[in-house]
Amino acid sequence: MGRSRQILLLFFVSALVLIAKAAQIQLFDDKYEKLAQRNTLDQHTIYPTRGIIYDRNNEVLVYNKPVYDIDVIYNQVDKKMDTTLFCQLLEIEVDVFKKNIEKNWASPKYHKSIPFTFLAKVKPEVFAKFQEHIYRFPGFLANVRSIRSYPHQNAAHLLGYLGEVDQITLNKNKEIYVGGDYIGKSGLEKKYEETLRGKKGVRHVITDNLGRVVESFNKGELDQKAKPGINIITGIDFELQKYGEELMQGKRGSIVAIEPATGEILCAISAPGYDPNLLNLDEDRGKAFDELRDDVNKTLLDRTVLAKYPPGSIFKPILSLIAFQEGITGPYRGVSCPGYYEYNTFRYKCHDHPYPSNVGIALTHSCNSYFFDMIRKTLEVNGYNKPGEGLQMLDNYLNKFGLGQALGIDHPTESAGFIPTPAFYNRMYANEVNGWKSTYVMSIGIGQGELELTTVQMANLAAIIANKGKYITPHLVKSYNDPGMNIDPKYQSVKDVGIDEEHFAPVIRGMENVLNWGTGTKARVPGVRVAGKTGTSENPHGEDHSVFFAFAPIDDPKIAIAVYIENAGFGSDFAAPIAGLMMEKYIHKKISEKSKYKEEQVLSIQLIEEPEI
Amino acid sequence: MSIGKRTSQLSRGIDIPAYLSFFALVIIGWLSLFAASYNGTGIQEVFSLSTEIGRQTVWLGLSIVSFIAILTIDWKFWSTFAYVIYGLGIFLLLAVLIFGVEIKGSTSWFNIAGFSFQPSEFSKLATCLAIASLLGSTQINIKNNRHFSIALAMVGVPAFLIMLQPDAGSALVFSSFLILFYRAGANSLFYILGLAFITNVILGLVFGVSPTLIFSMLVTIGVIMFIINSDIRFLANFFLIALASFVFYRFGYKIPTFIVLGLILVGFSIYMIRENKIQQLILTVVFLAISVFITMITNWSFNNVLKPHQQDRINVWLRPDLCEPRGSLYNIIQSKTAIGSGGFWGTGFLKGAMTKLDFVPEQNTDFIFCTIGEEHGFLGVFGVIVLFMILLYRIVLMAENTRLDFIRYYMYGVAGIIFFHVFINIGMTMGIMPVVGIPLPLMSKGGTSILVFFLMIAILFKMDLKRVR
Repeated sequence: MGRSRQILLLFFVSALVLIAKAAQIQLFDDKYEKLAQRNTLDQHTIYPTRGIIYDRNNEVLVYNKPVYDIDVIYNQVDKKMDTTLFCQLLEIEVDVFKKNIEKNWASPKYHKSIPFTFLAKVKPEVFAKFQEHIYRFPGFLANVRSIRSYPHQNAAHLLGYLGEVDQITLNKNKEIYVGGDYIGKSGLEKKYEETLRGKKGVRHVITDNLGRVVESFNKGELDQKAKPGINIITGIDFELQKYGEELMQGKRGSIVAIEPATGEILCAISAPGYDPNLLNLDEDRGKAFDELRDDVNKTLLDRTVLAKYPPGSIFKPILSLIAFQEGITGPYRGVSCPGYYEYNTFRYKCHDHPYPSNVGIALTHSCNSYFFDMIRKTLEVNGYNKPGEGLQMLDNYLNKFGLGQALGIDHPTESAGFIPTPAFYNRMYANEVNGWKSTYVMSIGIGQGELELTTVQMANLAAIIANKGKYITPHLVKSYNDPGMNIDPKYQSVKDVGIDEEHFAPVIRGMENVLNWGTGTKARVPGVRVAGKTGTSENPHGEDHSVFFAFAPIDDPKIAIAVYIENAGFGSDFAAPIAGLMMEKYIHKKISEKSKYKEEQVLSIQLIEEPEI
Repeated sequence: MSIGKRTSQLSRGIDIPAYLSFFALVIIGWLSLFAASYNGTGIQEVFSLSTEIGRQTVWLGLSIVSFIAILTIDWKFWSTFAYVIYGLGIFLLLAVLIFGVEIKGSTSWFNIAGFSFQPSEFSKLATCLAIASLLGSTQINIKNNRHFSIALAMVGVPAFLIMLQPDAGSALVFSSFLILFYRAGANSLFYILGLAFITNVILGLVFGVSPTLIFSMLVTIGVIMFIINSDIRFLANFFLIALASFVFYRFGYKIPTFIVLGLILVGFSIYMIRENKIQQLILTVVFLAISVFITMITNWSFNNVLKPHQQDRINVWLRPDLCEPRGSLYNIIQSKTAIGSGGFWGTGFLKGAMTKLDFVPEQNTDFIFCTIGEEHGFLGVFGVIVLFMILLYRIVLMAENTRLDFIRYYMYGVAGIIFFHVFINIGMTMGIMPVVGIPLPLMSKGGTSILVFFLMIAILFKMDLKRVR
């Protein structure tokens, strides 16, 4: 073969090699086609606005506020830019600037030609200043996103807060969340996350090599609009909520008020409270969260649903109703009280009060002896040796009253409280040869001992008495701002606790007299007949807890309330006036001159040191 | 030697296929450049000197004028002044080092009234003329080693000056004269050795030292067996040995493989001494020694002699798995992606998303082929390669049909230059050649480049026309 032919052969073979390679990448390998689409086609997520939360009078409790993320494309940044001015405008230190812009370029996460977040969550007022000068800083872009905002400083526990979605949730809901998305972490924000979050939209866009949008793809035919979150209307009366938080300043405890007819929660106050704006998703959030979490008063704990308290004497009306229903004793039975209750070796002090010739007087003056007698008879209903059977009967009723189990309110975390079962005492007194006896556990008759209730359960007890044996499971959300959506049917169905209506009258009469001349006179509401009951729950660790539950007006109950003040002493002194003021505020929409002194008194009480946040 | 007479009607006038393919490439090139720089504003960009396509169009106009002008000049002008032009080329290369402007780290351009001029492009033409003139002279015989050295030096001087700019890509183009030397009768042993050593280097980089050593030993054994007896039985035996050593090596018996191959070599050597084939034995042993030496120093010199960016280029070519997809590999991935996304039919003229949106680096210059691949698909790629092949084929035919050595060598020089540019450039955009910054002839943006290719081919066509008169 001549050399000219060899050279031609070289040309020919080389051309074949090129054509074969082209065929491979163009015809036989679709990897590149997909790569090209990924390169040029970008999906931009459109974030929906989160649902707004209103109170029962359409006052806004939570809304959305824009914040700005400043993104940067490293390669477009002017090396000679005025860094000092830039940092001044954004109110950051020069060190922060350097730290935020010099990324690890070896990492696939960052690329010099692709935008990344330089500074997140810039406040609108700061951004407004920066925006005027943004033209001086090529390479920097702004993205708006929204965060939660509150036109007040109240209801933090009940509303809850948002946080970045965690990995577990992310793995379970890959099509809903991406890393860095915000999700409800507590309170209503968590419970109603699905309703509030809405649905993300997507915009298909063509981008250039710097990730800049050139045009929308296919004229936007594939795009999906974001579906905004659904607004929620709660049963909360914001004025009442705010007033309650004011009254609870300087105290630890909680207040829950319920509208008896509907089960709607009117207020849920956990004290000490905090300003919900503190846990907003702006740059100071981390610090505020740590301080709240670590503070001695356990401020982040929602005491309305998570704290379990011994109910004290407010348990007495419940016990009476059960005893009457079972025919164990009647309302007009008298029990002598020499100032103590004595049974074999058991001796318990009572206080000085008129002879309890019927249940009304016993309730009015909160006679302990009367109810020790009653619990003993209840537990021994099947005989002295079978207190377990009596207790089981009692527990069955208490379960119907919504005790010993979570009520099922629309709150992401709710404690069940505790009511002792026969099995519990069998374990506790396993060493007793003849088993335990009613006298061992009689303190539950006055709401002490092992009994533990949440505040919302106590408020619900008041609502049950107000409704004469019926209740609707308490709930925070009243309706949705969406014609297609109804609230859970369980918040509409009426439950019956199994007590005949006739048994309520003597108990309510006694509870009314608690306010007339009994232990709860400080809870009086001018012009309104109120039924209530004080409680002082013994606390072996310190000052007794002060508790009061009530409903009003008696003929047409509008509000049922439970107030629990930790370590405050007698129920009559602290919880009663607060409950009274709350009911007055709700029924009359204002505090009368006559009650002003009570208000001042309550406000002046400082039981704890407020955390400085 | 010659390929045969062209048909009679063609010999009467211009070589129509050559002209057609040439102008087709020019038009496709201009359209691709228009597509690559098109940003939707319209045709008026072409008439604006502030746009790249506008300036390129001016250069193209100038090139066409020069093309016509050259067709009117007697071809003897070029043989007469070949050395003068070569001298001018060298002068310009020196001058650019002193007076040139630096763009992207290379001092390769003169800047004259907004137009930049690249002497290295011109020196390709100048050197081609000078080499043709040298080898066309009756006193010079390339088989004479001293004369061959002179020819090599004539190529080496401009290449060296271009390396100083530095512009390794353009300097490498001068190796394309090896094709001309080969046609002129250079000793094929040099080429075989050269190929073997290049293979050694590539294998050394891709597979490491010991597989390459096995390869060298096997090649040596093959050569010896061929020398002893070139019949089919020996060939079969050789393949058996090669296969066995491959299998053994793969299964981890590295040292036994080396020992066995070594013993075979020793055995053959003894046999050859007995047969009195000492000279051939020495040659093969020297070949093996050099191979081993090259293999041994390849990795060392890769790590110690090459600069990091040069290492990157070699790695991207031969060892892409060592490269960062977002780093050194980024350009080539984008380039392959653009070409690959074209499919069979392409996305259509002016509809290439990758090129439109600036994903491909240097898409107007070195990577102009991506635009063709993306917008016109496999059909476009095939068409362009075939057009270049037609042009090259016709040039070789013209060269073989002339009786004058000067013309023949000049034509082979031009063919070599065009082939080298086309193969390296297109190969690089698809990742089978290292990324060497050389333009695709007649297509890439670059005024001097297109002008010089026009001049080269105009001179060539003019020389071809001479036969007619």
